Amino acid sequence: MFLMRFTERAYVAYSAEDVQNSFRNAVRLTFSNSHFNPALGADLYNEYLDEYEYSDEIGFDGMMLNEHHNTPTCMGAAMNLEAAILARTTKRGKIILLGNPLPIFDNPVRLAEELAEIDMISRGRLVSGFVRGTGIESWATNTNPAHNRERFQEAHDLVIKTWTTPGPFRWEGKHYQFRVVNPFERPLQKPHPPIWIPGVGSPETIVWCAHHHYPYVYLETDPQVTLDLMSIYAKAAREVGYEPGPQNFGYLVRIHVQDTDEKAYEVGEGFLVGNAGVGRVPLPGDFMAPPGYNSREATKKLLDQYRHSLRPDPLYGGVDAAGWEKVVESNRVIIGNPDTVVKKVRQMLTALRPGILGVWTNDGTISHKDTMRCLQLMEKEVLPALKEMGKELNLPGPFEQAP
Amino acid sequence: MPTTEPHEQFIEVAGAKIHLLKGGQGKPLVVLHSVDGNLGWRSYHRQLAQQFTVYAPTLPGFGLSQRPPWLETFPDLARFSLWLLQELDLPQVSLLGHFIGGWLAVEMAVMCPQILDRLILVDAAGIQPQQGEITDIFLHGQEGTRKLMYFDSQQVSEYQELFGRKPTLEEREIQAQNQENAIRYCWKPYMYDRSLPWLLPRLRVPTLIIWGREDQIAPLECGELYRQAIPGSRLEVIERCGHCPQLEKPEEFSRLVQEFSLKT
Repeated sequence: MFLMRFTERAYVAYSAEDVQNSFRNAVRLTFSNSHFNPALGADLYNEYLDEYEYSDEIGFDGMMLNEHHNTPTCMGAAMNLEAAILARTTKRGKIILLGNPLPIFDNPVRLAEELAEIDMISRGRLVSGFVRGTGIESWATNTNPAHNRERFQEAHDLVIKTWTTPGPFRWEGKHYQFRVVNPFERPLQKPHPPIWIPGVGSPETIVWCAHHHYPYVYLETDPQVTLDLMSIYAKAAREVGYEPGPQNFGYLVRIHVQDTDEKAYEVGEGFLVGNAGVGRVPLPGDFMAPPGYNSREATKKLLDQYRHSLRPDPLYGGVDAAGWEKVVESNRVIIGNPDTVVKKVRQMLTALRPGILGVWTNDGTISHKDTMRCLQLMEKEVLPALKEMGKELNLPGPFEQAP
Repeated sequence: MPTTEPHEQFIEVAGAKIHLLKGGQGKPLVVLHSVDGNLGWRSYHRQLAQQFTVYAPTLPGFGLSQRPPWLETFPDLARFSLWLLQELDLPQVSLLGHFIGGWLAVEMAVMCPQILDRLILVDAAGIQPQQGEITDIFLHGQEGTRKLMYFDSQQVSEYQELFGRKPTLEEREIQAQNQENAIRYCWKPYMYDRSLPWLLPRLRVPTLIIWGREDQIAPLECGELYRQAIPGSRLEVIERCGHCPQLEKPEEFSRLVQEFSLKT
């Protein structure tokens, strides 16, 4: 099993009232950046990088980063920069980008170049995930949402061709045209860095992943729903002639460890501050998914096909909206002392059988100090147990068995 | 007295099925709708149908009209709409358009001025204001935009009929489709064409520009800019009226159009 550590790198120095005063009461997109203090930002970026470097030292297999725009909930607005720093300052773990929002790039060739540099500087440790981005990414970059999926697919094809086909070549697509595609620097890994796709369960994307043999990383989706979504992947994989295994699936979950269950309960609640606590939800639906962002026909067709097997999320509105007690009871966020956490993770792994486990250790108001204590406890008492558990439950990751 | 009630029909243009309402008698007047799509045969259509044969097509991708897969941009929409006139066998026609419908009428006019009899622009998009901004209706969302639409929604006699009840599932699906295609055509640059001010002096047809004084979507400044750029055009401002004079002040609106048509 592949163990990667994650945080959204939140900025939480603002009030719920500040959010209520933003246009359409949204914490993303229109929440004024006048609430951002760059001096605090400088501290936070450095702390977050310190945490990633430490997580690499203590035995995580990978450092997972993500990217969002116009939002205090994730400071990774230029994720590839953080990745480039970690490529140089760490020596061991994979750098997992989940992922670059392809549709918002007007120049995917430049993206291919950036990623190739990261791959070389890290000496072949890059995992290059791609996403469509939330609707916020389309708004923030003024990318027409009606073209989101088309641009995702075309940019993906262009990046892969840029990495794998000797240049120069010409690209005349619908959304991208280039006279001379011939970036001199190509990635170290062959045929190209591995590609994983994260998401919250768009059936269209899941089918596309299965057809490409790309592992799909479920972002803290309800466990029952996740099983349903896994069956969509499996069916699509069988259609193209292979049987997927744990190596094709990842699962991201918030896991926080402290010395005692009580302390973990108290500290862990910080996950929700800076999220629900100051009005992250509800966001206007058309901010997250503007008209045209989802292909209505394709979604309807797939939902009609799979509706019978898709259960509703019992924590409708997501982990952030449900309330801390309910979240903890349902194990949607796993917290406790090391023993408690190991037991809870075992239940989850047994049920879902992912080959990639994303460990979202901290967010919101969880302090750097508490995060470092969490990581120290994980080093000694959690990570070794999880690695053993992966072997015992036969959960190979994508680097142990090809997806 | 000719009937002012419409016939519904479908016409094929470039392989796409286009929905159309047609009624009245007289010279042809094509009415081009805005981002909300074809809201049906309203009282202003009936009043105009006393003087004109009114054609109210549903633009491709809206309502019951298909969008050919290649049709992605506003210029595509103008070229397609000129083809629609050809299929309707309308070699000479008056165009009346509201907001994006007005923008569309202008694009068609500067592409093919010889087909035009008269041009009527109503709180039209298409021209970039120099002082203010065209309100971002996509960012405001449907509900927020509706609040900005009217000076006083109580003045809109058809408001209850149009918006007074919860839409059915099918109607919601059509609304989503309309929004999606409005975004497809108008996302960037938002609601204007930078070349238009340089092309408008080409027009030599009688042009009436109607604007609601209190329009909170397309500022009156845009109407002034159109008036300055189109030779011989006239701007009529309706007082105590918002973005949709044809719905909020239908009688005054229709009277302006009818008088303009008789005098020019």
